[in-house]
Amino acid sequence: MVLKTLNDLKSIVEGGPRKRLVLAAAQDQHSLEAVVRAWKANIIEPILIGDKEGIEDLCSSSNLDISGIKIIHEPNMDMSLELAVRMASSKQADILMKGKIGTSSLLKCALNKEWGLRTGKLLSHIALFEVDTYPKVIAVTDVAMNIAPNLQEKIAIVNNAVNCLNKIGYILPKVAVLGAVEMVNENMEATLHAALLSKMNQRDQIKNCIIDGPLAFDNAVSLESAKQKGIRSEVAGDTDLLLMPDIEVGNVLYKSLVFFAKAKVASIILGALVPIVLTSRSDSEQAKFDSILLSAAASKR
Amino acid sequence: MIRTLDQMEEKVLALGKKFRVAIAWAQDSNTIGAVTKAVNNGFIEAILIGDRSEIIKTCRAHGIDENLFTIFDAYDERDASQLAVRMAKEGEAEIVMKGLVETDKFLKAVMDKEKGIMIPNAVLSYVAVMEIPLYNKLLFISDPAVIPFPDLDQKVAMVEYAIKMALKFGVKKPKVALIGASEKMSNHFENSIHYSIMCKMADRNQIKNCIMDGPLDLFLACDKKSVEIKGVKTPVDGDADILIFPSLESCNPFYKGLMLFAKGELAGLLRGTEKPVVLMSRSESEKSKYFCIALSCLMA
Repeated sequence: MVLKTLNDLKSIVEGGPRKRLVLAAAQDQHSLEAVVRAWKANIIEPILIGDKEGIEDLCSSSNLDISGIKIIHEPNMDMSLELAVRMASSKQADILMKGKIGTSSLLKCALNKEWGLRTGKLLSHIALFEVDTYPKVIAVTDVAMNIAPNLQEKIAIVNNAVNCLNKIGYILPKVAVLGAVEMVNENMEATLHAALLSKMNQRDQIKNCIIDGPLAFDNAVSLESAKQKGIRSEVAGDTDLLLMPDIEVGNVLYKSLVFFAKAKVASIILGALVPIVLTSRSDSEQAKFDSILLSAAASKR
Repeated sequence: MIRTLDQMEEKVLALGKKFRVAIAWAQDSNTIGAVTKAVNNGFIEAILIGDRSEIIKTCRAHGIDENLFTIFDAYDERDASQLAVRMAKEGEAEIVMKGLVETDKFLKAVMDKEKGIMIPNAVLSYVAVMEIPLYNKLLFISDPAVIPFPDLDQKVAMVEYAIKMALKFGVKKPKVALIGASEKMSNHFENSIHYSIMCKMADRNQIKNCIMDGPLDLFLACDKKSVEIKGVKTPVDGDADILIFPSLESCNPFYKGLMLFAKGELAGLLRGTEKPVVLMSRSESEKSKYFCIALSCLMA
């Protein structure tokens, strides 16, 4: 199944068991709003860790009813984070979410060698965008974590993202490896990586997806422009997943989709024992809610 | 489509043309024998360049009439090579051929920046066409002779030369197999990286008129059964027309092995020059040399 809108994620998780989501440093209004909404929609079973009094004050002042939600009192930020990660690694939680705490502390904690969430895989970020101008949801990776991935890292990033898409119902997602041009150019490393990833996909060294690249952004998302360029490709114009050459391109694309195309977005961190919801503090409540939806869908075992 | 070297010869005869061939240091019996056959079959005029008395001596020893040829005197191998190349450059010859000259001395004349006959900025390489009794068609291979370790650009040039030759033989859309030890893409094998990039270039029509796949091992390239057994999806499908090898030292033993042990026959040609250059091992048989001359005429 291919997602038309982010709301379609609901139908994947609805009716299934509630996922246990642990929110670290929970005293954060947007996060709490999104978590409570997902709880009320029967999607998750939240566990809030943080300053109990602070959490309760925040909820009562913004009319959030959290009676019935488990709260673990741990006022120390670092300890609250460690506890959340330990719960996830000991399978007491299915999803880890970041509250009022910096991204770097959370990642450091998640990567702890003794009790962290390491699986041996590279951690990477996936974002799903819903825009009016594309007929389906388009996933983009990696716009937030890996700065200038080499070939091995790109393989890991694609595998993480494909694995996630497979879990949420894509049988054979179409992956476009993005370049500035659709031609191979020895001076543009992204186009060379794209050729190698395509070949590895043909040889079943990267499975469960169809990869083509390099594709320029227009060829990736518009069949017409691919046709004009005479590109024969199963992916061109019908992309499910865009692989970014580096974080600069990814981040700018992300932000331009959000600002200029009014995209709705859901995003999570992949490659750890459990999906990590790591939206930025400035993200809307809707984005946080959709990210929780995505994490619940992707944690399907 | 030409399927044997004899058919290639017929095709050259059917052209009804006489090509002027300048042969550098043409005084060994293999060379003169091959040239004589081509002259007698009417598709070349031969200009033998070398030590006149030696040339005449060799001719007479084999009962060949030296008046079949135009003979030009030269002091030594280098002088003969330079003269042959100059004749081609000035249009007095359409094809240049190496006689009993060492390859590097001969190539020096061909590649000379001012007096040579290289196409500017072209890659100098070699394409051979092999007839192998156990294969159902001719097989074009590169590079058995010139580039030791081709880089990506050189590999692309090799492919394009081979495609051009295969098209000339009437192969509609030649199937190109890029040969490695395995079909997998591996960061540890630079060739598999080059090959993957080249396949994408073919996908994007940056390399035209072919069906390309690689890396492929030789079985997957030339044997349908192996493709079935391994279950590899490959458009070449065990039916390759062209084999591109990762190095001179893999390609050279391939053709020599086939000639020695599988009754293979070969014709080859230097590529990247303004005029065809016939260049082969001095120890090559008269028959091979004859086929090389015929091939050069076909490609002229």
